[in-house]
Amino acid sequence: MSSATDRLSTVTGRLDQSLQPLADGFNRLFGDYVGELNGLQFVLVFGSLAAVLTAPFWGTFGLVRAMTVAAIWAIFAMSWDIQSGYTGYISFGHSVLSGAAAYTTAMLIHNVDPGLSMAVTIPVSILAALVVGLLIALPSLRLSGPYFSLITFVAVLIFYRLIPSFSAYTGGETGIQSVEVFTYDPIARYYYMIVPMLVVAVALTFIARSNIGLILVSIRENEAAVNAAGIDATKFKIFSFALSSIPMGIGGVLLVHFTGGVDPTTFIAVDRSIEMIAMAVLGGMSSILGPLGGAFFLIVLRDYILTDLANLSSPARWTIFWALVLAVLVFVRDGLFRKLWHGLERYGRGRT
Amino acid sequence: MSVLEIDSVTKRFGGLLAVNDVSFEVDRGEIVGLIGPNGSGKSTVFNCIMSIYDVTEGSITFDGTDITDHRTHEVVNSGVSRVSQESNPIESMPVGGNIQLFTLPNSIVSFGGGASDAEIYEYAARVDIEDKLEEMPDELPHADIRRLEIAKALATEPELLLLDEPFAGMNQAEITELAATFERFRENGMTIVIVDHNMGGLMELVDRAVVLNNGDKLMEGTPTQVTEDPRVQKAYLGTAEEA
Ligand SMILES: Nc1ncnc2c1ncn2[C@@H]1O[C@H](COP(=O)(O)OP(=O)(O)OP(=O)(O)O)[C@@H](O)[C@H]1O
Ligand SMILES: [Mg+2]
Repeated sequence: MSSATDRLSTVTGRLDQSLQPLADGFNRLFGDYVGELNGLQFVLVFGSLAAVLTAPFWGTFGLVRAMTVAAIWAIFAMSWDIQSGYTGYISFGHSVLSGAAAYTTAMLIHNVDPGLSMAVTIPVSILAALVVGLLIALPSLRLSGPYFSLITFVAVLIFYRLIPSFSAYTGGETGIQSVEVFTYDPIARYYYMIVPMLVVAVALTFIARSNIGLILVSIRENEAAVNAAGIDATKFKIFSFALSSIPMGIGGVLLVHFTGGVDPTTFIAVDRSIEMIAMAVLGGMSSILGPLGGAFFLIVLRDYILTDLANLSSPARWTIFWALVLAVLVFVRDGLFRKLWHGLERYGRGRT
Repeated sequence: MSVLEIDSVTKRFGGLLAVNDVSFEVDRGEIVGLIGPNGSGKSTVFNCIMSIYDVTEGSITFDGTDITDHRTHEVVNSGVSRVSQESNPIESMPVGGNIQLFTLPNSIVSFGGGASDAEIYEYAARVDIEDKLEEMPDELPHADIRRLEIAKALATEPELLLLDEPFAGMNQAEITELAATFERFRENGMTIVIVDHNMGGLMELVDRAVVLNNGDKLMEGTPTQVTEDPRVQKAYLGTAEEA
């Protein structure tokens, strides 16, 4: 057994060494900003990137559609991660943020002017997500302990109930379905989602690997030590929530222009918040790219493999989805992609 | 000129009077001992200075500024750093990372900044743990964990260093060495207040001592005055101290 892994790591070690020059080139240019890679990790990152960028040329319609949805959810999962995963102040209400952006877009079109250009609705909607984010963060993050989580949870419940109460403006249970989609071309639509996702991924990875990320993790590990270091932990907690709200707003806008409308169940329900957490946890919290991987893994599984390939019913798909999340929580607590990453680190080093 | 003024500070926890109308001053460049039996209120005084607790009454002035209502990070940034009685390093970060955190600027737009590796090495070297920067806190012996706590405090570049029982759990050789380290800090211009419930070793190090008992200030004076004072001897009598 151990001689098998020995042999494997000799092979992978050699493979790693032959790839190292590529990784070194990357490290020289970007290592200071996003961290250094070994040869195998370089192949994982850039192989996945190439696969994602070329998916419409080799993937089936169903797969590309699933990956389009996954790109949006990857933004949600990464946004949740920079706040909840890093600081340890777990939000159960992040769908309020994406929902706020999506509803702002739809309500502007429905109530103000159907001809409003996206150049207006998109920035206003992202700003709305930020404002709602600050409204939740400012009072709740001054408190320590479980209050923050409870407040985010209640916020999503209130928001969900508010929608039908103002049905003249919000369209009630059925929502507003008159939002323009970006495009009907599935290939173009795919890139409309993938490009913003990659931008968000790079930006959040950069921040997470900077001092800011170090401070956010330290808040999770030991908030008292952060204050004792002369750093205002409360300010950074609120900042991380604001930082999370902006890409949540971007994702919300993408989703509303993907589906062509909003309704409380698809956008706000607390289930949506929990799904974001599930993706982040499955991929590996506090790593940004882990939650991205988690989103693609779970959504491609649910919407493509279990739907198109296995033809399972919706309850069966969801049962498998949650069972998998549970299994990861119990057996791979650090997340699948973090495990993979550290595995590549070990096998890359090889034995000489 | 006094750099720290504790002015009639009182701290109540519900019905418990932990610190009762205590006043004392610390001059620049001094090493002052804050001593007293267990539970006499020493750590509470430190916690009030650091704004971990709000004072019930009284005021605290540092360097001419009233810092009573400042928040913890503001107190630290004005030049006061405290080594707690309990060590609490971040277990998931190596020694170097733990020190680095204490050098980071309090700014949400500062992606870089903080100390260089060479500066972190320097902070560690001042307490002799420069060879352990890569080690994780749970791999360190007790004395090194305490040294890490001191290095973290140094990394905020304090003018005034508050040390809560820095010698606890150390052997005689370690105590002697650490006391010499504190002397060097003072020679470099730092002011130090050291809390200890044990009067013995501290008296050679300090210029002056303030004695607390049950939240009250019993007296203050030179080491000789303190050790010879009958009230102090009485306060320590019957407690398990070998004064
Ligand atoms: N957060 C708190 N809540 C309630 N009571 C407290 C709190 N902190 C301290 N006390 C009480 O205040 C009194 C003084 O405690 P303090 O920790 O300041 O003593 P100390 O002199 O540092 O003792 P030791 O030598 O044991 O460290 C004690 O009776 C203690 O139980
Ligand atoms: Mg104490």
